Amino acid sequence: MRYSKRAGLSSLPGRKVRLATAALLVATTFAACGGGGDDGDDDGGTPAAGGPKAPATVPELSDDPTTLSFVWFEWPPAQALEDFANAEYTKERPNVTIEVNTVPNANWHDAMFTQFAAQQTDFDIAILDSQHIGEAVTNGNILDITDFVNENIDVDAYDPYLLAAYGQYPQAETGQRDEDASLYGLPLLGDTWTMIYRKDLIGDEPPETWDEMIDTAQKCQDENPGVSGLAFHQANGSDAAAVTYNTVNGVYGGNLWNSADKQIEGVINDEAGQKAMDVLVNEMKPLTAKGSGNWFIDETNAAVAQGKACIAFQWIAAAGGLLDPAQSTLGTTEDEILDKLGFATLPTQDSDVVPLGGMGMHISAYVSESQQAEALNFMKWFEQEDIQKKWAAAGGVPSRTDAIQSPEFLEAGPFNQVYADSVARMRDMWNVPEYAKLIDIENTNVNAALNGAKSPEDALNDIAEQQQGVLDGGGGL
Amino acid sequence: MTTTTDRPVQEASSTTPAPGGSPRLSDRGLAVAFISPALLLLLGMSVFPLLWALYLSFTDYSATRATGANFVGFDNYSLILGSSEVHKRALTTLIYVVGAVLLQTVLGFSIAYLISRRTRGRGALTTLFLVPMMLSPVVVGLFWKFMLDAQFGVINSMLGSLGFGQVEWLTRQRTALFSLIVVDTWQWTPFIMLIALAGLTAVPNYLYEAASIDRASEWFRFRHITLPMVWPLLLIAVMFRAIEAFRLFDLVYILTSGGPGVSTETLSFHVYKVAFLGFNTGTASAYGILMVLVVIVLAQFYLRYLNKLKEG
Repeated sequence: MRYSKRAGLSSLPGRKVRLATAALLVATTFAACGGGGDDGDDDGGTPAAGGPKAPATVPELSDDPTTLSFVWFEWPPAQALEDFANAEYTKERPNVTIEVNTVPNANWHDAMFTQFAAQQTDFDIAILDSQHIGEAVTNGNILDITDFVNENIDVDAYDPYLLAAYGQYPQAETGQRDEDASLYGLPLLGDTWTMIYRKDLIGDEPPETWDEMIDTAQKCQDENPGVSGLAFHQANGSDAAAVTYNTVNGVYGGNLWNSADKQIEGVINDEAGQKAMDVLVNEMKPLTAKGSGNWFIDETNAAVAQGKACIAFQWIAAAGGLLDPAQSTLGTTEDEILDKLGFATLPTQDSDVVPLGGMGMHISAYVSESQQAEALNFMKWFEQEDIQKKWAAAGGVPSRTDAIQSPEFLEAGPFNQVYADSVARMRDMWNVPEYAKLIDIENTNVNAALNGAKSPEDALNDIAEQQQGVLDGGGGL
Repeated sequence: MTTTTDRPVQEASSTTPAPGGSPRLSDRGLAVAFISPALLLLLGMSVFPLLWALYLSFTDYSATRATGANFVGFDNYSLILGSSEVHKRALTTLIYVVGAVLLQTVLGFSIAYLISRRTRGRGALTTLFLVPMMLSPVVVGLFWKFMLDAQFGVINSMLGSLGFGQVEWLTRQRTALFSLIVVDTWQWTPFIMLIALAGLTAVPNYLYEAASIDRASEWFRFRHITLPMVWPLLLIAVMFRAIEAFRLFDLVYILTSGGPGVSTETLSFHVYKVAFLGFNTGTASAYGILMVLVVIVLAQFYLRYLNKLKEG
């Protein structure tokens, strides 16, 4: 009797609980579906592909205490930017505090684009790699600032390609800017590779051609046991190994793609491309330290600072730490270190291109109008000639020609002349929405070739086939 | 017997509410009130996302594109099941799971067996062995990355002092996967050890005493008393570890990033790439659902085997 009573009791609330559960699930589902629909249809919260337009002039700014947030990856320029902006921008806007939030380099893309996907960002300004612009613009994640730039920025003060590389979409032809194209960002930090060489081991004059550089590295390695001939980026995270291959590809006269026809197959793996991959894997890799197949910025710097490499390749913006005696075994003062280290532009061979690095500032489409106004004001302030020179003196790499040629910049670091001399030689990768997949394909395959997991020829052909598949809209997983 | 065991429950349920309690809230109402927060949390955080992922797996939805979700039937599932890229990752995952779980089981049981035979310092030793399990996998990955560094790592330094050459632990195809297995084994062997130890201490002493009287050898006692008694518990530990190892992500992310090339990319790591590099949310959802299904089906077979073992 008692058992049946209990069973009866349990059935009714059980049914109620099940009904409540089902109702809750349905409600949650509607909430999830409805949220997206509302955003897109009613209030314009979801910007159309191409991104909402920023006003042509800076709107009225708030006098309330304001924090302007950036997102970048963890490296010295991030701290330099925060210190510089808090010291200088606050002179104009005392109520504003600048925060540069950083994530590990490998998480940089995900940290920004997962927030973009959620249509809610905790940063006002995203510092995007030049190749991220296509993805962000296509998804409507960042503001179109074309009108703002036309009204507030002296575009003639820049090398046209630098202005295009850090802001324009669709992507510009190498070395040019399309003045009819829209702009979605402004330069924050220019960058390219520098060749770092040991003057005390190979002499004061750097090698001028790529072949000569390899011979010099080989000779240096043979003559100095314990010191490897070369150190460069080989890791399969971020864009490490891919940039290395792209650089060698450019030096030997290759191309990454035919941008007009969106053709990669047959272009990257043509004769010049195959030659470049062969040089990288069979001539350069044997001159690197054992186990260096996962090296990126920090590991390459460590090898140079510890005196373990004759010649190394590094981003200029990441080379500052090499002059710090506290981190180096090459000398107890900066002058002693500079007696041993030289910085030069990359050697040429069949062509004279160098990789374009650096990043631009882009305003999130998902922050309030007052934050967007503050971000626009910051960008207008930052791109002024005197501020760009101060940024150069503080360790930044400017993009305005007058700032690049200024003594403030050229005398701020021994590698800054390298940047000034490299501007006309820069070449970027693909700036398309599929960039993240393209770079992953290239990174993993080049890394596989460098570490013996694939033959150089197979790796290059796989890159061409898989990347073409992505651009053609398929490409599997 | 049944009547006597039921009685306390019946008596408890018929007890009048304590003075001061709400006269309107019955015992069952109170039970529902207490369970509701946990139930709501479970529904919101687990059940709903799972159902939502199931729905997305039949669409071409992308979290970053404003194009909405179009129904594509089983296209995502057929793409994944027919992809040679997925087959490659499945093989890597299988090698990893078998290698890591096998090594952990042998080591964990051996350590537990040795500890169980020791009477002094048993508690301290057990606690010491449990330390790796209490660390975050990311922390474990980071310090093993330094230890396994070919140039500056302590492992190669030790090998060098013994006259061996440098080993490229994380940048060669075979050593990279082996390194992942070793690191996972270092961290999770204590888990197997703990469960095996619980089983070993539960073996009744009189069985060993009887075997001693019969002058049974050490091996005979292990083979016919210890192992059969601990075996079911050990199999449950193996199942937990296999499920954990099957969804390995963190160690791969920190130690090898899936390299060299993609040779240490596990299924979970690949799902991450599909989900966050291409933002193919629908495909990634189908990939995740398939992984869950594989685990459920294999676990069901395994549990049936365990039940048979129990009945036998």
